[in-house]
Amino acid sequence: MTTTTPLLSIQDLKVAFRMGQRGGIVQRAEAVGRGAVGVSFDVAENQTVALVGESGSGKSVTAMSIVNLLPDNAERSGKVLWRGNDLLQADRAHLRALRGREIACVFQDPMSSLNPVFSVGQQLIEPLVTHLGLKPKAALARAEQLLVEVGIPEPGRRLKAYPHELSGGQQQRVMIAMALACEPKLLIADEPTTALDVTIQRQIIELLAKLKAKHGLSVLFISHDLALVGEIADQVVVMRQGTVREQGPVAQIFNDPQDAYTRALLACRPSLGEHNPARLMVIDDHIAGRGAQGTAKAKNPDSPVVLEVKALAKSFWLKEGLFGKREFKAVRDVNFRLRRGHTLGVVGESGSGKTTMGLTLLRLHEPTQGEVRFDGKDLLTLRDAERQVMRRRIQIVFQNPYASLNPRFTIGQTLVEPMTIHGIGGDLAEREQRARELLGKVGLDDRAFGKYPHEFSGGQRQRIAIARCLTLNPEVLVLDEAVSALDVSVQAQVLNLLRDLQDELGLAYIFISHDLAVVRFISDEVLVMKDGEVVEQAGAETILRAPQQDYTRKLIGAVPRGWQSSVA
Amino acid sequence: MNTVGTAPALERSEGVWHAAWRRFKGDRLGMVSMAIVLAFLLLIAAAAVGLVARHWQQEVGVPNAPPTLLGPAPPEATGAIEQPKGPNVDISDIDPLAPKYKEWAERAKQYQTADTVKAETLPLGGDRLGRDVLSKAIKGTQISVFVGVLAAVMATLIGTVLGALAGFFGGKVGDFLEWLYNVFTAIPDILLIFAFAAVFGRGIGTVVVILGLVGWTSLYRQVRAEFIKHRTREYVRAAEAIGASTSSRMFRHILPNVSHVILVRMSLMVVGFIKSEVILSYLGLGVPVDQVSWGTMLADAQGELILGYWWQLAAATAFMATFLIAFSLAADAWRDALDPKLRGIE
Amino acid sequence: MAAYVIRRLWQMVPTLFGVVLLVFVLFKFFGGDPAEILGGLNATPQQVDAIREQLGLNKPWWVQLGIFLKQIATFDWGKSWATQEAVSNLFATRLPATLTVMTPILLLDTLLAIPVALGVAYVRGSLTDRALTIVTTVALSISFLVYVIIGQYVFGFQLGWFPVQGWSDSTWTNLVTYVPLPLLLAVAVGVSPQIRLYRSFFLDELGQDYVRTARAKGLGEGPVLFKHVLRNAMIPILTNVGLALPGIFVGSFLIEVFFSIPGLGREVLLAVNRSDYPVIQAVTVYLAMLTMLINLATDLLYKAVDPRVILK
Repeated sequence: MTTTTPLLSIQDLKVAFRMGQRGGIVQRAEAVGRGAVGVSFDVAENQTVALVGESGSGKSVTAMSIVNLLPDNAERSGKVLWRGNDLLQADRAHLRALRGREIACVFQDPMSSLNPVFSVGQQLIEPLVTHLGLKPKAALARAEQLLVEVGIPEPGRRLKAYPHELSGGQQQRVMIAMALACEPKLLIADEPTTALDVTIQRQIIELLAKLKAKHGLSVLFISHDLALVGEIADQVVVMRQGTVREQGPVAQIFNDPQDAYTRALLACRPSLGEHNPARLMVIDDHIAGRGAQGTAKAKNPDSPVVLEVKALAKSFWLKEGLFGKREFKAVRDVNFRLRRGHTLGVVGESGSGKTTMGLTLLRLHEPTQGEVRFDGKDLLTLRDAERQVMRRRIQIVFQNPYASLNPRFTIGQTLVEPMTIHGIGGDLAEREQRARELLGKVGLDDRAFGKYPHEFSGGQRQRIAIARCLTLNPEVLVLDEAVSALDVSVQAQVLNLLRDLQDELGLAYIFISHDLAVVRFISDEVLVMKDGEVVEQAGAETILRAPQQDYTRKLIGAVPRGWQSSVA
Repeated sequence: MNTVGTAPALERSEGVWHAAWRRFKGDRLGMVSMAIVLAFLLLIAAAAVGLVARHWQQEVGVPNAPPTLLGPAPPEATGAIEQPKGPNVDISDIDPLAPKYKEWAERAKQYQTADTVKAETLPLGGDRLGRDVLSKAIKGTQISVFVGVLAAVMATLIGTVLGALAGFFGGKVGDFLEWLYNVFTAIPDILLIFAFAAVFGRGIGTVVVILGLVGWTSLYRQVRAEFIKHRTREYVRAAEAIGASTSSRMFRHILPNVSHVILVRMSLMVVGFIKSEVILSYLGLGVPVDQVSWGTMLADAQGELILGYWWQLAAATAFMATFLIAFSLAADAWRDALDPKLRGIE
Repeated sequence: MAAYVIRRLWQMVPTLFGVVLLVFVLFKFFGGDPAEILGGLNATPQQVDAIREQLGLNKPWWVQLGIFLKQIATFDWGKSWATQEAVSNLFATRLPATLTVMTPILLLDTLLAIPVALGVAYVRGSLTDRALTIVTTVALSISFLVYVIIGQYVFGFQLGWFPVQGWSDSTWTNLVTYVPLPLLLAVAVGVSPQIRLYRSFFLDELGQDYVRTARAKGLGEGPVLFKHVLRNAMIPILTNVGLALPGIFVGSFLIEVFFSIPGLGREVLLAVNRSDYPVIQAVTVYLAMLTMLINLATDLLYKAVDPRVILK
C-alpha cells in the first residue's frame, strides 16, 4: 500500500439530475449515490482502474462528473480530488484547462463522437492549439506523429480524411490519438470497445496497453464486460444501482469476490472455459446461496430433422454510376440441417450476413436462391395461404427489445393478435386465456396483460416477444441477437428460460449472435460466418477445441478471458 | 382493436393519449389556451346555426358608427341654408299643381313609414355601410376558422394516405408519388394557389379545395419519412412474421405510432390556412362578396383607416389574433404533452 | 460531379412534363373558354368562333398540348390577353422590381436570424426561450396584412418617414427610398419564426456527442458554439434558405400590391383577376423550371457544406 497521494480521489460523490417541478417540489433522479451513501474510490499513478457495472449502475455518470461533462441539470456533491485539488469547487476556466490536457476522454461511439464536418486533422490539432499554443502547421506535424503512434496507416492522407471515411476501429484510434495529444496523466475510457467487433476490440485493447506503458498513463476504464476488465485492469470497482458494491485488486475480485452481486456477475456469464453448465447462475441464485448447476446434457443425435436449408443465398442490388446496378452478396451458399430440440448457433461479426440469413429464413427478405425445407415442402416457393400456414412453424425473436413490441398495443393485444390472424382458439376469451398462460410460462405476472411495453425492462420485453412466438406453437425459433442488448445478469435469465422451453416443448433454435461464449453455451452445432460465407461448421465443442480455420481461431482468441493468473 | 378480456380486477394501464392528457392538465397556459379555443368553437357553432350574428348584413347603424365606448360621432358640419321667415313669392296663380296641394297633404298623412332609427353607436362600431362590426367579426370567425380547419382536414387526409402508400411500399408506387410530389412542389405555393383561383373562381368551397390541394405536400413528406422509418422497425417485422396483412401493418400497427406527428402538423396547417384564407379574401380571390370573413373585413378596413375609422381593423385583428394565439399555444402544449422522449416509448 | 448534374437534369424532365401537364389540364378542362374571355362581353357568337379557330381550340387535345409544349420551348407565348404586351417581355420588365425588394428581405432575415438564434442558444435561459416563443407566436398570429396596413398608415401616412407607395426606374433610388418600408415590415414579421427555427437547429446540434468531445478537449463554450455547432447547423440552414429561395421570385405579391411595386407577383395577381391565362401559364411553368434548377444548385452546395454527402 503506497503512501503517496493518489492521482484522482473520488470521495463520497453523489450526482442527481433535476427533472423539473411537479406541485412545487423539484423532482430529482439519483444517478450516482443512493440516499446518504456516495461513491468513493482512488486512481493512483500508472494504474488502470476499471469501473464495472450493468446499465443504470451510474458508472458512466461517475466518470463524466470528474471533469463535468454532464448535462446542465446535473447536481454534484462530495469531493473529486485531482492531485489534491477539489474539482467540484473548480471554476470553469480551471476545468477547461484540465480537460484534454491532464485528463482526457475516449467515448463509446466514435462515429458520433467525432465532428462529421471537420477533417481528422482539423480535429486532432484542436487540443494542441488550445492547450500547447502550437501553430497549426506544427500541430499538424505532431498530429501525424500521433496517428502513427496509434497505428493508422498512411497518416498523411488520413489527416485530410473525414470521420465517415474511416472504419469504426480507425475512428476509435483517432479518438485515442486526440486524447493523448497533450500527454495527459489520466485517460477516461467510457466503454471504448463496446461498439466494435470483437477482433477490433482486441486490437484497441492491445493499443491502449501499449500506450499506457509507454506514456505512464493512468486509465479509468468503464465497461460492463467483466471478462474484458479482468484482462486489463489493476483495480476493479464494481457498481450497482449507483453505489459501489465491491472494490479491490483484480486478482482478489476474480479469485475471492466478497459481495454477492460480484459473485453473481462473475458466474452468470457464459465462458469459453472447460465447463459448460446446464443453467447459468443468476443473481438471485447467488444471493440465495445456491450452488452451480450441473453440466449440460448431451442431445439425442438422431432427433428428426425439422428444417433443412440448401444453398441459401441473398443479394441486394445497389445503384452505381449513371444508370448501373451493383450486386452485393449478403449471404452466399448456406447449408445446414436442424434437428428437433437442437440449437444451431450462427456466429459472426458485423457484416457477416448472419442476420440477413435469419430474416431470409422467414422470408422477411426474399431469398435470391436456395431451398428451405419443412417436412419436404420448400418454404421459399410457397404462396399466400400455404405460406401463411407455414408462418406458424417458424418464428423469430429480434435483437432490440425496445423496438420489437408495438408501443401502442397492450401486451394482451400483442399476444392475442397472432392467434386471431391464424384462427387459434375458438373465441376471444380462449385466446386471452392462452395468452395469460404463456405469460406465466415465460415468467411474467398475469397483470402484464393490460400494460404497455414501456412499463417493462429489456429482459421482460424479450420474454414477451418469446411468448408472442409461442402463441403459434412453432417448431423452430430464430433468435436474432436476442440477448445481445441485455445486461449480463438479465441475459443469463433469458438464456435459462430458452433452455427450459427447449427441454419442455422440443423447440429447435437458430441462435444468431456475435458473442461466441453465449453461442457456445446454448448451441449444439455452430456455423461461423464471414462476409456472407460459412467459414466453418461443426459441433460446438469441436469448434472450440479444434478450430480448423484461421478466422475461427482468430475469433476465439479475441474473446476476453477475464483475469488469468500470471503464475505459469 | 381488441378490448381487454372479461376477467375482473385487471386494470389496463393508461395509453398514450391518457398519459398525454394527464400531462396536459398540468400545463396551466395550455389549459387556458384550450379553454379559449373551445369558447371560440362554441361561438362558431352558435353563429353557424344562426343563434348569433345572423343579421350581420343589416345596416343597423349610421355609416362608420363609432364603438359605444367612444360615443357618437360629432354631427357633420352642415352648410345650412338659411330659411326665409314666411312665404316668399306667391306663385299659386301660375302654378298648375296648386289646387292639388291640399289633397296631396291629406293623402300623404296616410302614408305608412317605418321609422328605422339608425344607431349612433354600435358595440364595436360600424363599417362603411353601417353594418355591426361585432356581428361581422363573429360571422367572420365562423367562416375563416371553418375554411382553415376544413382545408387542413382535407390536406391531412390526402397527405397521410399518399405518404403512407409511398413510405410503406416504395418501388413503383413510391416513384409515382414522388413524381407527383415533385410536380406540386416545383411550383411555388402562392403561384399554384393563384393558378387554381384563376381557374376555379371564388367561393368558400373553392378556397377549401384550393388550399387542400396545395397544402398536402409538407405532410406527405413527413408521413412518408415516418413510414419508411417504421416499416423496418422490429415490431413491424414481427407483425409480418406472425402473418399480419399489409393493410393491418400499415394502419393498425404503424399509423397509431405516427398519429402524433400528423396531429402536430395538422394544427400548424390550421393556423397557416386561416392566414392564407384571410389574404385570399382580401385580394378578392377567396370568400365571395356576399359573405364575410376576417379577410374581407381587413379589405374594408384599409380604406377606412385613412379616414380615421379604425374599429373594423381592430375588431378583425383582435378576434383573429386571440384565436390564433390561443390555438398555437394549446397546440404547443399538446405537442409537449405528447413528446415521446418523455414517455420513453420511442 | 458532371455525371451527377447530367443525371439530375435528366430526372427533371418527367417533373417538368408533369408541371406542363398540370397547367395544361387545369386551364383546358377547368378554366373558362379562352375564346369567350378574349372576345369580351360584347362579342357576337361568330366573333367568338373566329377567335376559337384562330387559337386552334377546335383541334384535338393532344395537338393543343403539342402547341403548348412548343410555346414553352420557344418562349413564345404570344401576347397577354389583357395588355397586349408580349408575355416574354413580362419577365424582363417585372422581375427586376421583385428581386430588388425580395433579395434584401431574404438576406436581412437570414443575416439577422443566425446571430440572434446563436445568442439565444448560447444563453439557453428559460426566460429568453419563453420570451422568444411568445414573441413568435404573437407575431405569427397577426396577419401580415395588418402589419402592412398599419405600417403604411403609421410610417408612411402619419409620420411621413417613408413614401407610402411608389417606384422609380433607378435601382439605387428604389433601394434607398422605396424598399425600406416594405423591408422593415417583412423582416419584422418573418424574422422571429426564423430565429425560432434556427435556434432549434442549434439546440439539436448541442445535444450531439461530438459537442461533448469538443468540451472534453478543453474548448470553451464560445468555440464549441461558433465553430463546431454553427458549422454543422449550416446544413439545415442551407436547406431552409434553399427552400425559401424560389419564393422570392413571385415575391410577396402583397407587398407589391400595397406599395404599387411593378413586380412579377403583382403582375400574376392582376392576371388572375383578368383571367389572363397566357401570363399565368407562362409564369407558372418558367418558375417551376427555375425552382428545380435552384434545388439542383442547393444540392450541389451541400457537397461543400457536408462532407458526408456523396453525389451519386
